Amino acid sequence: MKFPLRLSLLVAPVFFCCCLPANAGDTVNSAVTNPSEAVAISSPADEPVSAVAEFPIPGPLRSFLRMAGISQKVAPEEVLPLLSRNVFIRGYEGSRQTEFLILLSRYMVQARELAELAASQGAIIRASNCDDAKPLLRILGYRARPNCGEPGTSLQTADRERAFLTIDSGFPLPELEEALQGGKPFEYAYTSSPVPVLFAAGEWTMASAKNNKEASKDLVDTILTDPNVARLYWALSKLDPETNAFLERSIGIRKLLPYAPVLDFYGSHLCIREGRVVVPGGPAADSAWKDLVGVSPTSPAAFIPRLLAGDKGWMTAYFDVLSRVSKSHQTYFTESKRLRLFYTALRAPNPSGATTGAFRPAPALLLLVTRLQWEPNGEPLVPGNIEVWRDILRQKSDSRVVHEWRKHNPGPTSPDQLVQTMFELSRSTTDDGPPQIYMAISALESRRSPEHRLAPATVRLLAQKYEDFSDQYRIFSEFQELNDASIVLFMDTAEALTNIPNPVRGNALGTLQANVGMWQILARQGQISNEQLNDSWQQVIKPFSKIRSAAQVYDAGRASLGALFRFATGETTVSQDEIIDLLAGPRQTTAEGMRMHHEIAIRIRSVLDGQRLVSLDTLLGLGDALYEKAHGKPLNDFAIHQAGEMREFEMPRPIFTNGERTEWAAGIYNNHHTEVQMRTDLAKVFKSPTASPAQLEEARGQLASFLRDTLVGLNYAYYEPPGAQALHNNPLLVRSHDFAAETVGGIKTVWQAPQLIGQGSPAGGGAHFVGSLADLPYVLSDLEQDFISPESVQALIWKELTPGLLTSAILPRWWDVSQNELHAVALYQRTGEELLTACAKDDQLRIKVMAILSDRVDPQRSEQVEQALSADHASEVLPRMTPADTFYLTAEFQRRYPGETGTWGTATAELQDLSRQHPEQVSWERLSRDFGVPHPVLAQSYGRELLNLGPLPAFAGYSSRFLAESWDSPNLYWARLADETGLSAVALNRLVPQLTRHMVEKIFATDFEDWPALLRAMHETGEDFRNGKIASLAIAFPSAATK
Amino acid sequence: MLRKSLLSLCLLSLFVGSRTGLEAQGSPDLHVVVNLVQLNVAVTDRKGNYITGLRPKDFSIVEDGITEKVATFAEGNEPAVSLIDPARPRGDAEVKGASAGTTPVTLDSLMAGANVFVLFDTSNYMYRGFVFAQDAIAEFIRSLGTADKIAFYSYSRDLSRAAPLTADRTQVLHAVRSTVAGDEAALYNTLLLTLNDATQYKGRKVVVVFSNGPDNSSVVPPEDVAEFAQSAGVSIYMISTQDAKIEPLSTAVFDRMTAATGGKAYFSKNWRDEKRAFASVRDDLAHLYSLSYYPKANPNSGWRAINVKLIGDHAKGYKIRTRNGYRPQPSRFSSEAQPDRLDLTPPNSYALSAPAGNSK
Repeated sequence: MKFPLRLSLLVAPVFFCCCLPANAGDTVNSAVTNPSEAVAISSPADEPVSAVAEFPIPGPLRSFLRMAGISQKVAPEEVLPLLSRNVFIRGYEGSRQTEFLILLSRYMVQARELAELAASQGAIIRASNCDDAKPLLRILGYRARPNCGEPGTSLQTADRERAFLTIDSGFPLPELEEALQGGKPFEYAYTSSPVPVLFAAGEWTMASAKNNKEASKDLVDTILTDPNVARLYWALSKLDPETNAFLERSIGIRKLLPYAPVLDFYGSHLCIREGRVVVPGGPAADSAWKDLVGVSPTSPAAFIPRLLAGDKGWMTAYFDVLSRVSKSHQTYFTESKRLRLFYTALRAPNPSGATTGAFRPAPALLLLVTRLQWEPNGEPLVPGNIEVWRDILRQKSDSRVVHEWRKHNPGPTSPDQLVQTMFELSRSTTDDGPPQIYMAISALESRRSPEHRLAPATVRLLAQKYEDFSDQYRIFSEFQELNDASIVLFMDTAEALTNIPNPVRGNALGTLQANVGMWQILARQGQISNEQLNDSWQQVIKPFSKIRSAAQVYDAGRASLGALFRFATGETTVSQDEIIDLLAGPRQTTAEGMRMHHEIAIRIRSVLDGQRLVSLDTLLGLGDALYEKAHGKPLNDFAIHQAGEMREFEMPRPIFTNGERTEWAAGIYNNHHTEVQMRTDLAKVFKSPTASPAQLEEARGQLASFLRDTLVGLNYAYYEPPGAQALHNNPLLVRSHDFAAETVGGIKTVWQAPQLIGQGSPAGGGAHFVGSLADLPYVLSDLEQDFISPESVQALIWKELTPGLLTSAILPRWWDVSQNELHAVALYQRTGEELLTACAKDDQLRIKVMAILSDRVDPQRSEQVEQALSADHASEVLPRMTPADTFYLTAEFQRRYPGETGTWGTATAELQDLSRQHPEQVSWERLSRDFGVPHPVLAQSYGRELLNLGPLPAFAGYSSRFLAESWDSPNLYWARLADETGLSAVALNRLVPQLTRHMVEKIFATDFEDWPALLRAMHETGEDFRNGKIASLAIAFPSAATK
Repeated sequence: MLRKSLLSLCLLSLFVGSRTGLEAQGSPDLHVVVNLVQLNVAVTDRKGNYITGLRPKDFSIVEDGITEKVATFAEGNEPAVSLIDPARPRGDAEVKGASAGTTPVTLDSLMAGANVFVLFDTSNYMYRGFVFAQDAIAEFIRSLGTADKIAFYSYSRDLSRAAPLTADRTQVLHAVRSTVAGDEAALYNTLLLTLNDATQYKGRKVVVVFSNGPDNSSVVPPEDVAEFAQSAGVSIYMISTQDAKIEPLSTAVFDRMTAATGGKAYFSKNWRDEKRAFASVRDDLAHLYSLSYYPKANPNSGWRAINVKLIGDHAKGYKIRTRNGYRPQPSRFSSEAQPDRLDLTPPNSYALSAPAGNSK
């Protein structure tokens, strides 16, 4: 992660120890009482840091950044690292250069030509008339037509390749065109742009093996032509200056080149201080690391190469993941025997390389180490008991790694051995192997009180069914009150439904899940009491336990819905509007609360309208009418009228013929469900005086598919992402949700999170989901994310990050949050800032603060913060701290040093007062619950929580979600914004989705892990809001803009 | 009184075809939903020459078999003329055509000209022809009439609103020359967003798309986008290269979507063809008739077919191009019974468990 401090700060002469060892808190405590130790810790390194050199990039930096795919908002010192990153990530497909790299190389040639043209005129490109402009136009690839100098003059392409570079790099062509039209002179300053270089440029050019064979190149050319150099440059730019200086001097760039991939993936936590490598576990673990690596960490020049070379990168991967654990947990992992045992398990014989792919392998390893759950006695949590896990590990598995493990391993007999086993299996590429099962069930179990622990049989069941149902487990994790009976009932019912024939199956699966989804919403919103969670859950599910016919699906759906709303309202009757009002949130009493509630209800109705779904009132009324007809009662006209409403839906006007659909969207276009609905004519049954009981039952069965759609639609509508378009404009979206995976092949299980099918297939009838409703907030955000238009182009972070950000904005609601809580969230952040400001002038305080922050930030950023603070530049640090950083700093400082009630500022004092008056509302647990975000992948739950993780690295596929889920800051920041602009907590229900959308529009990132870009976008959004520049919010909250 | 009526009519026109009150620019209180249907109509002879000088009485508009009365009329970039008495109830107003000898009511001058949204494909597909297409678009923008306003958007996977709707050509030309090549192509997603923007404005609206064809990342299908355009009264013109013609799917969509909305599709063999296509769009805009009407009572809440014909022998052989129908704003499917259902009032709520369990 980059952290753009000012250049002057990077070379500040004072250094403090920033890669704090494990038990740093203890060290700090002793430092407080023993100044000599504190001095030793904070003494400057005795080795000088390399002087900062610069490299001149030809032409305007803006143009170069455009061509290199780098954000325009980066600091100069980030330019060459990001260029290097983009070259090796985007510049090659195998050994072949990509179009990106070819164009960038061509641009460099054009830029040098332009620089040469400008050089003769004082670094200014000048053209006083059409003749003058000819050399310039030749370089640019344009010509003037028809008659240069006349008002109608325009520039036309003469050389396609050059013209493309001219446009793509943002050369001011319109200005040149206007000058030529008016016969005016054109001037454009064309100076080079100096950017800082890591070490000296010559070291890189000389280190490149390619430069020995080819003509001598400058630094940028070397980076463009040598991906190894590029990758090493990027990797080293992530290290802190002191470590870099040591590596350069003691090992050298040329010797480091073979380790570029290892350093890139796993090097960011390498840290050398005072002539020793700071290892996970701290000095106490030095001997264990010496035993493992073969060289002592006190000999970094020998230790680092051995570490990098160990087991094709796995040893460094191990070092890296252990570095990311909190200092207290590092002690467990680095105990001398464990460190070797766990590593021996991980490395296995003949491991494949840890750097062979485009992304880091083994996300399970990171998850295992960072999210391992603990018993109060300090042992790893073992859900159920160890015998259960011996059984689970003997389960059938497709993984080669698991097969190999079984051959030589009888199974664990202790928690340590279980963790050791998980280390060994974490290299498996499967998403549903034992480590994933262990982490998911541990997450579920960790939230339960000792008296509500899962029974071993339940643990065994969850493990056995993990491959098919794991995404459903998040609901068990979110609601720890759900007991064994509730879990088993769901699993049994779900399994039974899976085995019934289609089309009944699809409607049954959808209806049950839609009702469970609404149960989840109402339970989360506190509309079902904790005491009734199990009863209500079971009542919602039980009607589906013996489904065989379509009519039974309708009956079950209705009974289940009735039970749900009976628990939520105490009433036995309900209308659609009442259901919508309930989903929109608990009843409000304040004017603002009622306004927010009403707005949410309107949004839900708007989605239902967009999907053109049949009203629940109609569906229930028709059910009643069929019941009455079956009992010989006369029908009223209203029932027949309602039956007609079911036929109002029309398919969108077709653009394709059936044959074309078959040809162009084979396997994608399938609207059988909707087509069956359109053939449904209940009025005919109603009007028939001789309708038989079987016909009436069949008619009730026909209602089932409509009921499913409306109930599913309510779930979709509740989680509508800001800026959604498909929900409002593709009326088949809900109807097309394929719960039974009838329409596509290759879906192994229907209960896992749905897959998006049909994106980019115009004849496919629109993208839709296949699978369950699990993970609906995320998948809807994924579906709708491209409808948010960026303010800037090249926002490469979007696809990986945006759905996670949107999920964190649409799932939380703030109905029962007090103003004290809202104010406390702001005070926590401001107190953190006051602490940082105070510690700039207080060495002892700074040691404590940095010890806390080192749990969240990597060594490079830690050192930058440390340097800035020690230079009394706190004002430079504050805008670069995330809200989660300052929030955590305050909370952790209070926890570690409860007796220290310093007067660092007004917020500190105010927070102390508030804590005394309202300890429960200001507690970490309460604020974490109300202002945290869901972590469905990291924590296996949609419950809100602040996890206190530093930013996690990017992985491929499913685990790419780690990245977004480790970003806890926006809701904390939006809450502070609301507090400081005088808004109520309930206003967050509207503010947060809109502000998050605005923030996403503003993201201008370069790489996946560009956290400063997110922070920047968030701050810019806050400023826009304060200045009334977000139109919809300025209208809704006119008073806020003036604050 | 006259002034007030004119203002009302302008406000009505403002939201013609828009689906819902959108929050983007104006006050959320300006939610005016009026069933004024606006048509852009091109009339040509057998050789494709534009027919000018037609009058309101020359046109016949039929919606779902119901003959409608023209409410406003304009030709080319001229201001629209109201043909009904604003004081009279809508839906049965008398046509006050020029031939009747009455003085037509001239609407706000803003009704003159067209609002032209240019949507430019910057995806990978366009790489080879990127700069030539830009030249053609730049020339098109310079050539549009002064009464027209232009917005310039570009797209790849996302939409970039490079220049909002403006009469300032320089601003638009800067935007054209500032585009950056992108990656994937989400034509239908971004066309939907563009149409959404277009519906925020009053007057004639067209979207001119320059696309090389294959869409590989949209989540909304072209039929939904076409319906949206039809219902909002926005004509779509699509200019593409011969490369797109190679892909039959895009060819089919471009041809059918443009035809359904009253626009046209062009497949250009080279950059000169592209310029000719843009010139053709410009000519079309200059010769379109703008007609509007208030639909008479029509129970159809679904798709409504529109049939526009010319009346009289002199018009035989002329061809008409306009949208072929629209879908009214979605009614509240989720609402209670409609007010006109008389004694059909449903109960306030339903017993959820009453009929359950009566099946075997």
